[in-house]
Amino acid sequence: MNETLKVDRRDAKLALAHIYVAFIALALGGLAGLLQTLVRSGKFTLPANISYYTILTTHGVLLGLVLTTFFIIGFQFAAVSRTAGTFSDRVRFWGWIGFWLMTIGTAMTAFFILIGEASVLYTFYAPLQAHPGFYLGLTLVVVGSWISGFAIFAHYARWKKEHPSQVSPLLTFMAVVNMVLWLVCSLGVAATVLIQLLPWSLGLVDRINVLVSRTLFWYFGHPLVYFWLLPAYMIWYAIIPKIIGGKIFSDSLARLSFILFLFFSIPVGFHHQLMEPGVEPFWKYVQVVLTFMVAIPSLMTAFAMFATFEMYGRSKGATGLFGWLRKLPWGDARFFAPFVGMLFFIPAGAGGLVNASHQLNQVVHNTIWVTGHFHLTLATTVVLTFFGAAYWLIPHLSGRVMTKAMNRLAIIQTIVWAIGMAFMSGSMHFAGLLGAPRRSAFSTYGNSPQALEWIPYQIAQAVGGTILFIGIILVLVIVTNLAFFAPKGETEFPVGEVAETAERTPLAMENWKLLISITVALILIAYTIPFIDMIQNAPPGSKGYKLW
Amino acid sequence: MANEKIKGKATENSNLKGTLASVFLLGFFLIFTWVSVYFLFLERL
Ligand code: HEM
Ligand SMILES: [Cu+2]
Repeated sequence: MNETLKVDRRDAKLALAHIYVAFIALALGGLAGLLQTLVRSGKFTLPANISYYTILTTHGVLLGLVLTTFFIIGFQFAAVSRTAGTFSDRVRFWGWIGFWLMTIGTAMTAFFILIGEASVLYTFYAPLQAHPGFYLGLTLVVVGSWISGFAIFAHYARWKKEHPSQVSPLLTFMAVVNMVLWLVCSLGVAATVLIQLLPWSLGLVDRINVLVSRTLFWYFGHPLVYFWLLPAYMIWYAIIPKIIGGKIFSDSLARLSFILFLFFSIPVGFHHQLMEPGVEPFWKYVQVVLTFMVAIPSLMTAFAMFATFEMYGRSKGATGLFGWLRKLPWGDARFFAPFVGMLFFIPAGAGGLVNASHQLNQVVHNTIWVTGHFHLTLATTVVLTFFGAAYWLIPHLSGRVMTKAMNRLAIIQTIVWAIGMAFMSGSMHFAGLLGAPRRSAFSTYGNSPQALEWIPYQIAQAVGGTILFIGIILVLVIVTNLAFFAPKGETEFPVGEVAETAERTPLAMENWKLLISITVALILIAYTIPFIDMIQNAPPGSKGYKLW
Repeated sequence: MANEKIKGKATENSNLKGTLASVFLLGFFLIFTWVSVYFLFLERL
């Protein structure tokens, strides 16, 4: 099992299969997004009595859950195979089992959403009740992802065994951290689905403890956003330096930030439940403090990125305070798309600090501000980084090369996305500050003056949404070209090298017993007492509702 | 030792002033956003 510069063809097929599903989800989910903005502008109604909430559930599930999970697992398979060597047949076999379980689960979930039996939105909060097939499909997606996670762990364990007392390759280590994070947090969503929602929707039990189900959901839901973000950080830390021709600023800093994400991204779910009755303010406070801790590794990442770019620019002779910016390869879509993603992370992070502060959360909670926020974090920062990665990953895996024309189209795509999102997300933020609710079709609320104030912003959202949809068409053209039509040839899978000046990485960073113990201890501290309280002092549970 | 040589080189060449300025600008932006919404909150109390 040697380190290879090229991902083995058989591993490439596995990774590509995931990526295809991800982009199919983008096509369908993007169309739903466009329809949402049009409906919310008040100038358009859905044909054939289709419910707004069916479309919105489709959008949230396909883009928030399916696109992300498939792209991430596909990318990680490729990155692990590239940096820790070709998979054994067994690892690859289980990878395919994971893929098919996830794909069948996705098809099942999508089916029940589209026939209108599961318009419960992607958070599937009780007491909204979906058809059992919806929950079963989601279960298959999660179980499939676990199998793929264990396939990655097995491959990593074998690498460690064959390279005793060596530090693992950075990308492999990062993929393992991300899958450990995913495994620990998805236990929560598995618990609420299997113990609460599924029996209740099957009619085996009549009532459900709503607060417990929401708490288990957010125990999963916040780390979920880091499960999305960490692969983007893998690309920023370990791949972008190579693309620009520079060096990784510090291997230890990159690993440390990932470890901090593992520690602090799980015991923070209450920051999504700050307005929730039934949770003691003290425990909300504890989790808000932990939330601000999880801002630290993101600030470390910002620092590392600035430093990587500046070191590179200065090595090319840049002078002055910001002269290094001019030396960056602006014409290379593999750099430009993720870089624009990074820029958007600045307002995204600022908004996140607002969301996480208890008092300020009262200003924005459940308003369209929140939707604006995660279309910056997820639908711009993460997604543009994934697009930028797709521009070399897909041709690498399909044995093709990106032409100059496609590169130019990818630059245009990035600009289109940035403009569309500035309109859509910007107006969502402002409308949210004026009180406009998220997750609601168009209404003037009986011509209330406050609701009328939101309409211009809703029209701006539709303008932005239309521009974004053009962006989706462009990226689909590029991706289809790279997968099936681009000229045959070899494309590099860039993997950065560490700067000679960086300190050596301490082996203690791979002490998994210690890392997982700290993770579990923090979860127990943050959740045990309030969770017991929710069960002991529970009100009578709720029946299921189908409000659509 | 080779290592020491490298360290010496590092302190000479690594000028990260732009990075320092960038993180300060970033910090100011975060504070500015937070304070703006905070005043909105106070106004609506
Ligand atoms: C054409 C591009 C897109 C448009 C026009 C769009 C539009 C929208 C709109 C208007 C909403 C909120 C509707 C409401 O709350 O009533 C929404 C929600 C959402 N969007 Fe997008 N979006 C786009 C792309 C994306 C992408 C790329 C992702 C993720 C990768 C994404 C993830 C989500 C999620 C998770 C929700 C939440 C659904 C919910 O609240 O249940 N969107 N989108
Ligand atoms: Cu969160």
